Amino acid sequence: MTRRSRDSRAQGGRYLLVLVVMLAINFFLPRLMPGDPFLYLSVEDGTVSVVFSQQQIDHYKAYYGLDKPLHVQFGGYLLGLLRGDLGYSIYYNTSVTEMIFTRLPWTLFIVISSLVVSSVVGTALGAISAWHRDGMLDRILYAVMIVLSEIPSFLLGVLFLFIFAAQLKWFPLSGGRTVFATYGSVGTALGDILHHATLPVATLAVSRVGGFYLLSRNSMLTVITKDYIRTARAKGIGRRAVIIRHALKNALPPVVARIFMSLGGLFGGAVLVENVFAYPGVGRLMREAVGNRDYVLLQGIFLTITVMVLLMNWLADIVYRKLDPRVAR
Amino acid sequence: MATLELSHLFVRYRQDAAINAVHDANFSLSPGESLGIVGESGSGKSTLAMTVMGLLEAKTTVTGSIRLDGTELTTMTERQRDGYRWRRIAIAFQNSLDVLNPVMTVGAQIAEAITRHMALDRESADERARQLFNMVGLEAKWLQAYPHELSGGMRQKALIAMSLSCKPEILIADEPTMALDSESKAEIIDLLKRLQSERGFSMIAISHELQVVSALTSRILVMYTGNVVEVGPTRAVLEDPLHPYTRGLTYASPSIHPFRDMWGIPGEIVITEETQCPFYSRCTQRIPACLHQHPALETIRPDRQVACLRGGIVTLLTGVALNKTYRTAGGAIRACDQCDIAIRAGEVVALIGQSGSGKTTLAQMLCGITRPDTGTAVFDGRTILGNSETRRTGGVQMVFQDPLSATNEALSIEQIVREPLDILRSDTMAQRTAKVRSALQQVQLPHDDLFLRRKGHTLSGGQRQRVAIARALVMEPRLMIADEISSMLDPSTAANILRLLKGLQNLLGFSMLYITHDIALARKIADTAYVMHKGRLVEHGPASRVLTSPNSEEAKRLLRKLGLDSSYGR
Amino acid sequence: MNTRTFHTCAFLEKFSTYGKIGIAIIIILICLAGYSLFAGNDMHMIPSGESLERPSIAHWLGTDDLGIDILAQIGHGATVSMSVGFASAILAGVGGSVIGIFAGYFGGTADKIVTALCDIMSAIPQLPLMIVLGAFFGSSTANIIMVIAMISWVGPARTARAKVLSMRNETFIVAAHSYGAGFAHLAYRHLIPGIMPIMLVSVIRIVSHAIVAEAGLSFLGLGDPLSKSWGVILNRSLNFPGIYFTDFWKWWILSPLVALMLLVVAIAFIGRDVERIVDTKR
Repeated sequence: MTRRSRDSRAQGGRYLLVLVVMLAINFFLPRLMPGDPFLYLSVEDGTVSVVFSQQQIDHYKAYYGLDKPLHVQFGGYLLGLLRGDLGYSIYYNTSVTEMIFTRLPWTLFIVISSLVVSSVVGTALGAISAWHRDGMLDRILYAVMIVLSEIPSFLLGVLFLFIFAAQLKWFPLSGGRTVFATYGSVGTALGDILHHATLPVATLAVSRVGGFYLLSRNSMLTVITKDYIRTARAKGIGRRAVIIRHALKNALPPVVARIFMSLGGLFGGAVLVENVFAYPGVGRLMREAVGNRDYVLLQGIFLTITVMVLLMNWLADIVYRKLDPRVAR
Repeated sequence: MATLELSHLFVRYRQDAAINAVHDANFSLSPGESLGIVGESGSGKSTLAMTVMGLLEAKTTVTGSIRLDGTELTTMTERQRDGYRWRRIAIAFQNSLDVLNPVMTVGAQIAEAITRHMALDRESADERARQLFNMVGLEAKWLQAYPHELSGGMRQKALIAMSLSCKPEILIADEPTMALDSESKAEIIDLLKRLQSERGFSMIAISHELQVVSALTSRILVMYTGNVVEVGPTRAVLEDPLHPYTRGLTYASPSIHPFRDMWGIPGEIVITEETQCPFYSRCTQRIPACLHQHPALETIRPDRQVACLRGGIVTLLTGVALNKTYRTAGGAIRACDQCDIAIRAGEVVALIGQSGSGKTTLAQMLCGITRPDTGTAVFDGRTILGNSETRRTGGVQMVFQDPLSATNEALSIEQIVREPLDILRSDTMAQRTAKVRSALQQVQLPHDDLFLRRKGHTLSGGQRQRVAIARALVMEPRLMIADEISSMLDPSTAANILRLLKGLQNLLGFSMLYITHDIALARKIADTAYVMHKGRLVEHGPASRVLTSPNSEEAKRLLRKLGLDSSYGR
Repeated sequence: MNTRTFHTCAFLEKFSTYGKIGIAIIIILICLAGYSLFAGNDMHMIPSGESLERPSIAHWLGTDDLGIDILAQIGHGATVSMSVGFASAILAGVGGSVIGIFAGYFGGTADKIVTALCDIMSAIPQLPLMIVLGAFFGSSTANIIMVIAMISWVGPARTARAKVLSMRNETFIVAAHSYGAGFAHLAYRHLIPGIMPIMLVSVIRIVSHAIVAEAGLSFLGLGDPLSKSWGVILNRSLNFPGIYFTDFWKWWILSPLVALMLLVVAIAFIGRDVERIVDTKR
């Protein structure tokens, strides 16, 4: 019991430490930049080039409080964060918090649905593969999945975009819903949103499914050689009970933990995939912020994503402890 | 209650397809019987159990039949099998950390079998699980525990409770005392015995520990690399093994030979093909034919079966009705009076008696140095006539009591050891020298040129006794007769010589007749003992019995007296 | 010569079919890159045909909007992408190993700090961090390599630390200590050779990650506009007006896309096999 509380306290401490470091990065990065960040100019193909006006620069300097001592600046920064204030975007002329929260649902929607699809499909296929080890099905699945698990999501997204949207025209090319559309009913609205979300979700799901498959297959293969599976089989309780009650229950904890842990990578993938499909989530917003050199916005997004990922990792720890009595007690 | 019958059962794992994991197993288990299966790890005992349960990996091929009350089990589907598992045949698995599902409570794992097979609801199943725990002596609160929270002994009890949960007719106990301390071991053995007598199931107990099997079972099956090499009543097999492998197992088990030093079976398992005797590489009595024929299990005595081309452990030397009388001025001394003796291959026989009891005379008759008045001694089927067996390789050699007179101290060591070979004129000189060197090496003496050239008189008594042993070894004897070889040496040297000789005996596999008056010493090395008193062999039998609790009055008296003698001597 | 061929064959035989496919792909890409490096004709910069030509004998993969041969661009891009990959991987590998060896060998506070740093780095989502760093530090190729290395050193550091920790208790280290060996000797003789094989696996993984990361950054407009890596080519083609409504994508987009996929998959295959070969425990 004491060990457990010490463990979880150590875990909590670790997350707190990460958070503090994150805040520090966010705080010091603009101050560490080589030269004057506000005069930094970049002209690129296809992106908007921005020249800051004097008014904007003044606003930034006031916001960062560059004239005040460092600890006062940091204190003010932290206090602002506690109030949920991520700063003010000059380019969009709105509060960063507000902007992020209008975009976040879109991202969460595709991230979570792709996570559900890929983890369920990957885990199931992995388990099936393991039970038919070295059979035809296993070999084909393994070959396909091993390739899929390596292909980066945004490349897959570009491929999907051109095949299914540009060429076959099954799905819209961009956006989260039809522009200027007026919906007759909630049903059609939902249909339209799902239609737009299909390709981004499919992209993220396909690029993740290989990882879950390999983990689940591996975990299952380890479990089915264990003595307790033989014990269960010996009891004659039937194949289904052996698989579900004994094999899955032992093979799942690492898979479940990975499902939560993979959120960080999934968010990263979503940032790129949203831009492939011009999907209106925080990833898209992040690119816009990069393009417009809107550093306040950029940092706000970064902080939001990180905090969410940290939360998910923490949740993963908790769930893992719940699933495995050996860790829990 | 049911009868289990295995006939012509072969199991083969896919990859190492050259060798069968189980080779032609035939046996049956009648209702209420308890059968033990012993063998080293890798002997196929667990494979056999898994085959009976139908739990082998998918890539194994099983041929032959396993019948339960006449119903064939090997051809059943998994689903049909499930109807037999636990309900009719259950297994208490080998205890390991992984043997129970780590994420389910022990109680749930017992209850799931009960609900599946006994048509009970969950509540009655839990109640039954509580009864089972009570029956094996575990508190009911442990039903809610997870496997990692139980100690090894508790887990073993839980496994037994689980295996008996559906009232099986046959229980397989796989290494039921594995990794337990001796107290828990005894507890588990008592528990199994009690449960069997209460419930009347038949039991197959698998173990590599002979004392466990001997405590639990009435019949025993000895397995070696997948082959059943010996079958018989447990007590008889362990006391008087017929297969050299069984004997090796008993020798390696301190509980069966409590005073004797432990000596493992030498050599490695080497099997190149199925058509050879699987024990060939480690056998002390192998003949060329053993390399070309796979021996089948054959009945050679009532109720005793052994798989050996030579019909089990062969008797190397027999002396029948040997008589010898010395006539002196004072009258006739009957040195040997109707002595019958038998020495089997690979066995150490101790011949024990006071000085003047006729031991040396008997020994000399057995190797042909002394001619018996009446009676015959037969070695390997040939009657011993004079030096007929001592002048050949693979025959009988003798090492004498007095090391100083046994070798000619004027000769060089090479000449001493080479002498029998020179007389034999079998090899080239170079080959003989090579044999001399290797023999010297075996007796742990130097074997360089300098040492070979040294004269015998430069050596100490202990060294000269070693040289004498080396001289015997170059003849590759199958029987070594050692007559009080340590009595004239100081205790430390004597101990070294004895350990050396016993080590060589174990490694090279020759038989040994060891003549001594020292009972403590005989207990250390002897497998069989003969007690001699006034020219007569008054008692013989397994050393573990004869040297601790003899039957005959003379032997008892003698042992008492000799016991005093030897404690005085030390 | 003969024995060497034999050794190469024996080494190759340790690879699975996947690994052999990977090696073949890498060899082809390296040939392509080598050709573009040594041909010296600047084919990847100078228009050599009409704008947006379909693939033909003259232009195997067609041309882009400026009439520049795409195959030549892919060849040149291969050198850029692969050098970014290898440079960041080696930087991260060497840096990570050094940090890991020090932490593992000296332990104590240094070890605690390194472990905490590793924990922090692996908890932060990598791509968003890379975007932020890329945005702040600017997008020259050197910066991109630095940023990728800064994020990827954690893996090598962890592996090196774990391996050194386990090696510290080996008898040969204890024995070397008793002969008076210092850290330099131990590192040179035992520690570095000891971590080399696993480090190889780690570095191969980073190569692949780095190439993808560079492509991703380029795709977001954070690439080095002066270099023509595959990511930059892809970004340029994706931003071509009307790319979605014509057939141009079939050669202009697919070429860098497929090249990237092939390279990443090939490296992953090789990495898997190397990991298996290096693992002496099996």
